[in-house]
Amino acid sequence: MEALLEAAIRLSLPLLVAALGELIVERAGLINIGTEGMMLCGAFAGYAVAVSTGSPVAGVMGAVVVGLAVGSLFAFFAVVRRVDQIVVGTAINLLALGATGLAARSLYHGSAPSAPGFAPVAVPFLSELPFVGAVLFRHTPYVYLAGLLALTIGIWFAHTRGGLRLRAVGESARSADSQGVRVNAFRIGAVLAGSALAAVAGSILTLAQSHVFTEGMTAGRGFIALTIVIFGRWSASGVTLAALFFGAAVALQHRVQARGVDIPYQVTLMLPYVLTLMVLAFGSRGSGGPSDLGRAYRREAR
Amino acid sequence: MSAAIRPSDAPALLRLRGIQKAFVPGRPVLRSLDLEIRAGEIHALLGENGAGKSTLMNVCAGLVRPDAGRMEIAGQQVDFRHFGPAAALACGIGMVHQHSSLISALTVEENFSFGRSRGFWFRSADETRRLEGLCQDFGFEVPLRTRVEDLSVGQRQRAEILRVLDRGARLLILDEPTSVLTPGETELLFPALRRLRDAGHGLIFISHKLSEVEDLADRVSVIRRGEVVETEFTDALDARTLGRLMLGRESSELAPPRAAAAAQAGSRSRPQAISPGGPAEGTDPVLRLRGVSAKGLREASALRQIHLDVRAGEILGVAGIDGNGQRELEEVLAGLRPITTGSVEVDGLEVHPAANSLRRLGVSHLSGDRERAGLVAGLDLTSNWILKDAYHGSRFFPRGVLRRPLARRSVEQAIERYRIAPADPDADIAILSGGNAQKLAVARELDSTPHLLIAVNPTRGLDVTSAHFVHERLLELRDGGAAVLLISTELEEVLGLSDRIVALVRGEICPVPAEADRALLGAIMLGRDESR
Amino acid sequence: MNAPAIDRRKFGSRASSGLFELLRPLLAVAVAFAVAGLVLALFGYSPGAALTALLRGSFGSPNAWTATLQKTGPLLLTGLAVTLCFRCGAWNIGAEGQLYAGALSATWIATWLLPGAPAVLLVPALALAGAAGGALWGSIAGGLRATRGVSEVISTILLNFIAIQIVSLAVHGPLQEASGAYPQSEAFPAAARLPAIARIHLGLPIALMLAFGSAFLLFRTALGLRMRAVGLSALASRFAGIRAERHLVLALALGGGLAGLAGAFEVAGVTGRLFERLSPGYGYTAIAVALLARLHPIALIPSALLFGMLEAGGGAMQREAGIPSVAADLVKGMVILLSVGFAVAKQGPRALGAPDAVDEGEKGT
Repeated sequence: MEALLEAAIRLSLPLLVAALGELIVERAGLINIGTEGMMLCGAFAGYAVAVSTGSPVAGVMGAVVVGLAVGSLFAFFAVVRRVDQIVVGTAINLLALGATGLAARSLYHGSAPSAPGFAPVAVPFLSELPFVGAVLFRHTPYVYLAGLLALTIGIWFAHTRGGLRLRAVGESARSADSQGVRVNAFRIGAVLAGSALAAVAGSILTLAQSHVFTEGMTAGRGFIALTIVIFGRWSASGVTLAALFFGAAVALQHRVQARGVDIPYQVTLMLPYVLTLMVLAFGSRGSGGPSDLGRAYRREAR
Repeated sequence: MSAAIRPSDAPALLRLRGIQKAFVPGRPVLRSLDLEIRAGEIHALLGENGAGKSTLMNVCAGLVRPDAGRMEIAGQQVDFRHFGPAAALACGIGMVHQHSSLISALTVEENFSFGRSRGFWFRSADETRRLEGLCQDFGFEVPLRTRVEDLSVGQRQRAEILRVLDRGARLLILDEPTSVLTPGETELLFPALRRLRDAGHGLIFISHKLSEVEDLADRVSVIRRGEVVETEFTDALDARTLGRLMLGRESSELAPPRAAAAAQAGSRSRPQAISPGGPAEGTDPVLRLRGVSAKGLREASALRQIHLDVRAGEILGVAGIDGNGQRELEEVLAGLRPITTGSVEVDGLEVHPAANSLRRLGVSHLSGDRERAGLVAGLDLTSNWILKDAYHGSRFFPRGVLRRPLARRSVEQAIERYRIAPADPDADIAILSGGNAQKLAVARELDSTPHLLIAVNPTRGLDVTSAHFVHERLLELRDGGAAVLLISTELEEVLGLSDRIVALVRGEICPVPAEADRALLGAIMLGRDESR
Repeated sequence: MNAPAIDRRKFGSRASSGLFELLRPLLAVAVAFAVAGLVLALFGYSPGAALTALLRGSFGSPNAWTATLQKTGPLLLTGLAVTLCFRCGAWNIGAEGQLYAGALSATWIATWLLPGAPAVLLVPALALAGAAGGALWGSIAGGLRATRGVSEVISTILLNFIAIQIVSLAVHGPLQEASGAYPQSEAFPAAARLPAIARIHLGLPIALMLAFGSAFLLFRTALGLRMRAVGLSALASRFAGIRAERHLVLALALGGGLAGLAGAFEVAGVTGRLFERLSPGYGYTAIAVALLARLHPIALIPSALLFGMLEAGGGAMQREAGIPSVAADLVKGMVILLSVGFAVAKQGPRALGAPDAVDEGEKGT
């Protein structure tokens, strides 16, 4: 049981980080379906930098830089040029596939050096606690940071003026603008933060989980992150729980398969999507997220 | 021009001199308007649609820059070049909008807080205390930690008022504050407003309701055609005088053909005499509404038990000030708003407009608003021309497939007959001017030779020539035996064209007696029937 | 959640010159190739070699032509699916899932329900089943939108993943080949295989006909006019007596049907059996195809051909010049951004507002 929970946390990690990033973006009123592509870029960048420098921390830095770069592209087209966000996201996914695939081949020619990664770190004293210790406090540093991140984001949204302004922008850009909030600045900032986090989430895959990069390795996780945001009702705590839930589902399914019970793994893989659809369909109509979600904003002339 | 006013100690005195504004050159909305608001008074602004009230308020609130004129706040002249909404607020002028500008998903205190520039944490004990203090002083009751979307309309409005007070407003502008409220909520609002006044604030409020003006205001100014025609203490005026002041005696430049012809021929005709608004005797009505109620955009505009009859060969005019249910009535007749009680009959048959296509029943719908007229920007003229016939079995789509030459010939004829410019059937309708687009709409609606036409503000935004043209077509239609329901907020239009008139006030149809003159009509529109 | 509203932009109105409108997509493609070439050079590959291999692999030989045309077919059909929906104001991101749904239905007919039937019955049956399967899949999103206001952007993406898993389930289970060796269906009986000339199967001419048919539908029929009106302004179309919500559902069903047909043709005409990873992302590429063609069904034909060329040539590029085929994805992504990102005046479909769009705030004088 402890092992199950521990696995759940571990498996949910990349989803959680990416989802937290997307949470920021969506609260600002934008939809980024290019999260998938950004994760992929981050996975590759983290891997490549870690392999060449030998330092996983440098790898994470590299991922952040790349994430910011891709985020700038998204911000330029979606916020400044006001191109439809769905379109831009799709384009970014394709670009990411192409660029990372190319880069991987050209750098490694098919070989796959193993990247130095993060080893689990046991938190002194806390990790000795019965049950809780094994579950919560023997993870890679990513986990602790992610937990902290979720907490910080939650507090930031609920209690600070900056977070409040971001929420205002996402709910009604016009009202926010009329109160003097710089809408585009917040949106661009949100996009950059979200893409940096997505990239970091990707780096988790190559630096803490599999230690090699393969083409298209994100395999839809970016879309799951989007789903998590919806499922978690656009709140930091909801997103955290939703991510854990999905992670648990995967962990459970591994268990179950190991025991030979006959639930096809496809069902588990499908579950997040089906559940999200049901939540959307049967949830109350108004709970659709920030009101201005997906709308480009143009200030009208006085 | 002196420097922009300093934000600090701004008293509530406001003075406007000679304010002018024209959004479209040659068509001024405000012409040389003078107004003075004193501290410690509630000042009502009365006027018809288009008289300029909203524009005037927007000038005061810094949302619109006047072309000429002066404004003084507490004796300090305002430099309009630097006078935006933030500056207005800093000078103590706070606008309370009709449609709440609060963000619904946020709580009240969050809404107040995000506009401020200081502080990392948005909630501070000081601010909370001050807000609660304000609430207590003026008898407001606004739950600060509740989401705006969960508040009642009345609470939302009070939160809006609280917001401007919190920012230090001394002069409050309220745009038709009671139009969104139920009578019960209004009773909660007025004492609060009086307390504000007693505390030395100045309040301007726009209203169409005589009862409110009499009840609440110390002084009232009547605005007509961009000027203040009268400012007086409320107890010195009665309903008829107010009605007369609001509507005036002379006819406007929008002289419908009939009035002109009548003036020339000297024959008995409108606009002076108005026939009774009740059901006329004689033949069966083409359109009959019996007890029709419908939910409204707002409380004040919900339809309540509407009774209407329109007969063949007559124009029934529905007069009224915008916001009293015209849109709702239009939508009910277009099949876009469900009715909660009552029935709609066309030619004696009950129709459910949502289910039937009114067009196929010989009913046409004309609107002054492009989208509500069913004109789709992005489609060309031909497509718009045939849009209402876009169904299998129509003359343009006999088997569901377009008969191109027919459609083209048809629209070309219309373009020529109505002189629509540019005369290009493939042009995107979005590039047409308002007048030309409306001509196309008129042409389209009349082309199907309807025996019932519902015309809603058909000449809104049109120049005089185009408006004339539309009026002539309506009269032609009527003379040809069709029934016409004319819903318009332009009183001249209604007076000039209608055979019978009723007034739409707060979602109810009020009959207009036979010998009613403009003053009486104005009073009725204001909600007071002086004929009793 | 409300569907995202899209800024209204003009789409080929008479106001802008026709010639420039034609040049713009070509320009976008040219620049996309140029930039891709630069990136290749950056990574140490030769752009020249890449381009040569690409062209040779897509047009250089009869085999190459075949490969290109084989890829063009599904791109055209899914491109049509996207186009019809976008034109009606429905963001259909689910062409991929609808394709799989169609492939599944067709496989079921061909290998399970009617494996012994003669070709003259079987082929139309599986095609119809494919279309029906895809239409059903699309209608789920449409229905959710019409009844519960669920944004079709999200629902179609979710349905993509669900469809892929259902196919996976099927080929691991009920539809798996008897030998159980691989997760794939039985091979289609000969009668179920689409007739072909030089390996170019019937699907392609049908797709071409459907492209012309879609153009006819959109621009010459009452239904098409209504759909376009709804896509441009739901409010105005309602006042014109059109029921906007119904057309939305219809569009998604139609689009789904087209994508489903693409799936049926893939299994019956190209692969001969159903397996996971049937589609290399046709449903997503279709968005690029549709946008490049500015949502015009006829323009979809050259657009689909271009992207088919990229798909086919990409493979050759990898085999012969050692350049990873994913470079083609670079071009695709850039084509999208370039064809919509710098348009001065362009019109996409305007998303439908919430069902009570009539209740918009009043504007005072």
